[in-house]
Amino acid sequence: MPTFSSARIASGLALLALSLAADAGFAASSRASTPQVEAELVASAAAIRPGDKIQLGVRQKIIPHWHTYWVNPGDSGLAMQIAWRLPDGARAGDIQWPTPGRFKLGPVVNYGYENEVTLLTTVTAPATLPAGGRFPVRATVDWLVCQETCIPQQVELELTLPVQAAGSAVGPGSPLIEAARAQLPASTPWPVEAHASKDALTLRIADARLAARFASQAPGELWFYAEQWGKTAHDAPQPVTVVGDSLEIRIKPGDEPPKDGETLAGVLSIRDDDGQTRGYRIAAPVSVTAGASAVAPPTGDNAGSSGLSVGMAVLLALAGGLILNLMPCVFPVLSIKALSLLRHAGHDRALVRLQGLAYTGGVLASFAALGAVLIVLKAGGAQVGWGFQFQSPPFVLAVAYLMFAVGLSLSGVFTLGASATGLGASLADKPGYAGSFFTGVLATVVATPCTAPFMGAALGFALGQPAPVLLAVFLSLGLGLALPYLLLCFWPALQRALPRPGVWMERVKQALAFPMYGAAVWLVWVLAQQAGPNAIAIALGGMLAIAFAAWLYDSSRNAHVFARHGSTGLAVLTLLAALLGGYAGVQANAATPATAGAAKHAWEPYSKVRFDELRAAGKPVFVNFTAAWCITCLANEKVALSDVGVADAFRQAGITYLKGDWTNQDPQISAHLAEFGRSGVPLYLLYPAGTGSAPQVLPQLLTPNTVLSAIAAAGPGTASPKLAKE
Amino acid sequence: MPFALARKLSRRSLLQLAVAALPLAAVGNAHANAEIGQPAPAFTAQGADGKPVSLAAYKGKTVVLEWTNHECPFVVKHYESGNIPQLQKDATAKGVVWLQVISSAPGKQGHVEGASAIKINGFRNAAPSGVVLDPDGKLGRLYGAQTTPHLFIVDPAGKLVYKGGIDSIPSTRKDDIAKADNYVKLALADLAANRPVTHASTKPYGCSVKYAD
Repeated sequence: MPTFSSARIASGLALLALSLAADAGFAASSRASTPQVEAELVASAAAIRPGDKIQLGVRQKIIPHWHTYWVNPGDSGLAMQIAWRLPDGARAGDIQWPTPGRFKLGPVVNYGYENEVTLLTTVTAPATLPAGGRFPVRATVDWLVCQETCIPQQVELELTLPVQAAGSAVGPGSPLIEAARAQLPASTPWPVEAHASKDALTLRIADARLAARFASQAPGELWFYAEQWGKTAHDAPQPVTVVGDSLEIRIKPGDEPPKDGETLAGVLSIRDDDGQTRGYRIAAPVSVTAGASAVAPPTGDNAGSSGLSVGMAVLLALAGGLILNLMPCVFPVLSIKALSLLRHAGHDRALVRLQGLAYTGGVLASFAALGAVLIVLKAGGAQVGWGFQFQSPPFVLAVAYLMFAVGLSLSGVFTLGASATGLGASLADKPGYAGSFFTGVLATVVATPCTAPFMGAALGFALGQPAPVLLAVFLSLGLGLALPYLLLCFWPALQRALPRPGVWMERVKQALAFPMYGAAVWLVWVLAQQAGPNAIAIALGGMLAIAFAAWLYDSSRNAHVFARHGSTGLAVLTLLAALLGGYAGVQANAATPATAGAAKHAWEPYSKVRFDELRAAGKPVFVNFTAAWCITCLANEKVALSDVGVADAFRQAGITYLKGDWTNQDPQISAHLAEFGRSGVPLYLLYPAGTGSAPQVLPQLLTPNTVLSAIAAAGPGTASPKLAKE
Repeated sequence: MPFALARKLSRRSLLQLAVAALPLAAVGNAHANAEIGQPAPAFTAQGADGKPVSLAAYKGKTVVLEWTNHECPFVVKHYESGNIPQLQKDATAKGVVWLQVISSAPGKQGHVEGASAIKINGFRNAAPSGVVLDPDGKLGRLYGAQTTPHLFIVDPAGKLVYKGGIDSIPSTRKDDIAKADNYVKLALADLAANRPVTHASTKPYGCSVKYAD
């Protein structure tokens, strides 16, 4: 009996010990169930060794129509939580979340999982773990499971792994771990940009294959899951558009939209060609565009970006206008005016003044008209800038014809009647106010391609301003252009300083025809860039017709009245044919510009994607924004950028030279110009090495030395990353 | 950014046009209308006591709107612990109008008739100024209420000055209440002291509002 009873006591004690152990927490198993969820704790290996990193998984099997939640649960709900209790020295990482799904309940959208999910966590064992021992792991898992109603639940899961000696072979763990890894979002294989404005977050994914798929097929399921609450509106649709080789996803911002420079993190889920949904981890720094700063008044906003005040811009425009007088296309026109003034030097001073005023009026009216056109285009949301009219091939052709006709007139091929509203009027004996006015218009038209220094900044500023400021800057520019001639008319002392009239004036006049022909030749070349080689034939044919019409008109001036009317009629018809034929011809060809082979040059053509790629890699970049119709740009390229020393310096510093051609309209380039408060070319930017480095803005008139010293200034930082890599 | 202005203007005016053209009931977006710093959307709805409740009637007073569902575990946490009832008592003692809103659709969790709503409040020592019944979910959708609880505060001038959660720790555990920042209490204190509300927009947490399908 005593033995029996002692056995009972012993068994009783054993039971007691067991229940105590249970209280101490050793009774939890690797599985636990609630009515909605079966949970299980699994490991990636059958045993653990000192210093090992293993993965633990909490697997949930959820009954149909119920779901648990992702790290960002969406509009309601609660993310799952795991609290680990590990042996001393062991560490657990964060939960690795599989790609979630979406659940919509009326206007409420949730992010989470249904049916089955495994949450992985990496656990690191301490290096001092004694072999032969045990490695108990305990997890308190909290979740909210919802169908329509929600139930918060908590389970305790436990798993004990044997500890093996370092270097020994370890048996395989649960196959659930491998399956769970396949559900994790992959790292993103494409460059992704995030832009934010007040109304939209735009994710731009540069991938031609993806873009082609979404352009050609019915869009597969695509959704961006933001990792943090408030960054995006969870319930709003995310429309996808294809822009060139990129995909743009437009997302409605949430209650706490990302700020400039903040990283937008999340998962992009895409249903692939094979019907499988795959997730990709996104972490894109957000750039906020001006549209976002709705509170800042537009004036302050833009003044800040180009660093100019209204008064300063008006002064710069005045200086720019003055300098325009010296530009090769304007100078001949003005010289003619000055010459005609000499003829009238002895005449009534009041008449001379009136002529000066008429000319000024012509210039100002043209600039006001240009300003008005810009205001209207801007209101329509167009991307316009200074010299924009030269982006239209018919306009370029018309100016080429005009230059040619002025040249013919200067050469003496024909002379327009004094009463006509032509250019010849200014050379006629009688002072023609209309003639002076239109000389002013002509000066403005031919001045537009010559962006003088200082003008770029002032015009860029003006274009971002309300209409009155824009007009003020434009009129100031016009005043600058008109000022020298106006002063000449009002200041007899200046007139006296001019040389005395004589036969030489006729010679000078004829000589000045040649810059005009030169300008016409240049414009035909511009046209060829815009509309292809056929445009050259069209333009030259048109010029032939104009020359013929001019000769016909002039040679029949003193003929019999019928012959005169007949030839004039024929001249007009020829002229019309040249203009209309030319217009139709270049319009048809406008879409087929000759593409210059970039490969043989030291530069690459600019594209936003290429630029961003280089900047993202921290490579130094030189950007040249140019246009074939921009004389300053061409001069800079010839003088400075094609210089052997400069090309060498670019190569040595590892600088990639990108050339953005704005000859035809290009919204990407317009946007880049706008970033620097500019609305026209040229613009030269040197980005030193390193991601996020601030660019140097080079002056609008370049010399090889300017460029070389800019490279030197960016120098050490520019060259070293390249060396470091090699 | 010379052209951003033109684009911004046209986009905003388009949006205004679009918003103006939408009848109130058609607004389906969950957070389209209630914006911090903007006039809180006006409403007139059925009170649990059978009388109509109109926001305009409380002009000059601070109004708290609390979306609730007495069966939701998150709501249960804040009522069983006494957290929300205490807030209601403190606020109404200072002249604040506290309105519970029930947007659960008939047949869904938390849907109650007016008499039951008042009775339930009695059981749980709740002390709101009134209960608004919103079984068709119009008021909930107008404000973009997503969760229970989800709180909105309208200042005496009628502007929305707070929207978001009851506090800073999203959980169903009662012992988290003491550790959390109570955003509603803080916002009411800011308002009483004539300060701008520090945390004007926070993450709401809880069960989804059980809207009609």
